[in-house]
Order: sequence, then C-alpha cells, then structure tokens
Amino acid sequence: MSMTNSNAARSLDEIQRAQRRSAAAYSYQKASPHLIVWGVIWVAGYSTTYFRPQANAAVWLILVLLGVTADFWIGRRAATESSHAHGRRFAASLLAAFLFFVALFTIMPPPSGAQVGAIIPIFIGLCYAIAGIWKQGLRFVLLGLAVGALTVAGYFWLARFFLLWMAAVGGGALILGGLWLRRV
Amino acid sequence: MEQPNPTIHQPIRLKIMAALKALPPREWLEFTRLKAILGATDGNLGAHLGTLEESGYVEAQKDFVRKKPRTRVRLTGAGRRAFEEYVAYLREIVEQAEQSG
Repeated sequence: MSMTNSNAARSLDEIQRAQRRSAAAYSYQKASPHLIVWGVIWVAGYSTTYFRPQANAAVWLILVLLGVTADFWIGRRAATESSHAHGRRFAASLLAAFLFFVALFTIMPPPSGAQVGAIIPIFIGLCYAIAGIWKQGLRFVLLGLAVGALTVAGYFWLARFFLLWMAAVGGGALILGGLWLRRV
Repeated sequence: MEQPNPTIHQPIRLKIMAALKALPPREWLEFTRLKAILGATDGNLGAHLGTLEESGYVEAQKDFVRKKPRTRVRLTGAGRRAFEEYVAYLREIVEQAEQSG
C-alpha cells in the first residue's frame, strides 16, 4: 500500500479542513454560554438604565459582577475535563478590557451616557470579529459585525430610544448569537 | 514509515482523527457534533469509531445528560502519536515529490 504525491497532498488538505471545522465548532461551543449570559445582562442593564436612569451606575456594577461571576462558573465547569487555562484566559481578557475602558474614559471622558453605551458594544463587536478572523470562525465575524452595525444604527437613527434598542436588539443579538453557536 | 498506518489511512477515520486532534488534549467531543463536523451518518461514524477504539486510538464515554443518552469520544495518547506519525508520513511524500520535481 503506497501513496502518490497527489493523494498525500489531498489527504493533508482534508486533514486541515477537518481540523479547521472542529476547532471552530469547539470555539463556538465554549463561547455560546458566555454570549447568552452577557445578552441577558445587556437586556437587563440597558432597559433598567432607560426606565430608571438614576440607578444606572449601581445596576451596571451589580450586573457586571454577576456576569463576571457567571463567566468564572462557566469557565470552571469547562475546565474540569480539559484545560484549566480557559477560565484564567477569560478572566485575563475581561481584566484587559476593563483596564482599556478605564484608560479610554480617563483620557477621553464621554460627554453622554449614550456614548458609553455605544462604545462598549462596538468594542465587544470588534473583539468578536478579530477572534473570528484569527480562529477562522465565520460566525464570530458575523456576530461581531452585527453587534457593531446594530449599535451604530441605533445610536444615530434611534437616539431617543437607543437604550431600549440596545436592550432588545443588542442583548437579543447576543442571546440569539449564543444559541446559534450551539448548533454545529 | 514505509507503509501508511492502515487504520488511519481510511478517509473517514483520517477525518475523525484530524477533528479530534484539533481539540485540546484530553478534551471530549460529542458524537452528534463529530457527526455534523464530518457530515457522516450515524452508522458509518459509529463503525469507524469502533475500529479506532479497538486500535486504542480513541476512547468513548457514554453517560446521560438530563435523562438523554450522550456519547463522547476523544483521542488517546497512542492515537495522538499515531496521527502525528501519519501526518509526518504524508508530508514526507509531498516533500520528496517537491524535491525530485
């Protein structure tokens, strides 16, 4: 049983294709619960900010802490049978994003809450798009573009209802995106 | 390696090994996900997984999640090594052809 050069090259291509699909499916599976958690947090946070703007800071603080706790819990569950690095990498990524926004808003304080409410989702959309490009996960790219585009659209065309828009459409996009990633 | 590993040489088994190798070490992959990734049928995938399991390249685990049966598979250490050797064998053929051509 010997193999020709073209058969070997074709087998190597098939291996690469199977590995790419498998790695993407694995990334989707891992990201799915995180997206759903943050989608729910966006729905709760943006709608509360719209209806009770005076409670804005306290509500977001509580929700973000809840989200980070949920992320840790999901990360720990995922790490029980595979790599323990998953939770640590996720925590480090959140910390890096937090420090980025502290630096950004210290240097350029946003004049309005709506701007804060728009910049953060656009940044998150960018992160998903970049992750998708590097991990060859098309769904991450599409999700990142959708979150970014919906945020920009709501900010300029529905300024009056921007917070409600972000609750329903932004949060909804994350939840639906998380459910979509579950499907292979 | 003079001859390709006959167990991995079969196209579906090669794809199974490749898909499992793309995961972090010791990570399981659900049968249904593997089936979707490879576009294989239940019977075909089950038969080839059985062959790989008999060779000691793959291990399977069956359990219940919310009262539903779940089958998961992963590569063993021997499976990883065999797959790496097979890929090295393929690369050697391609490189030799490039050098001589």
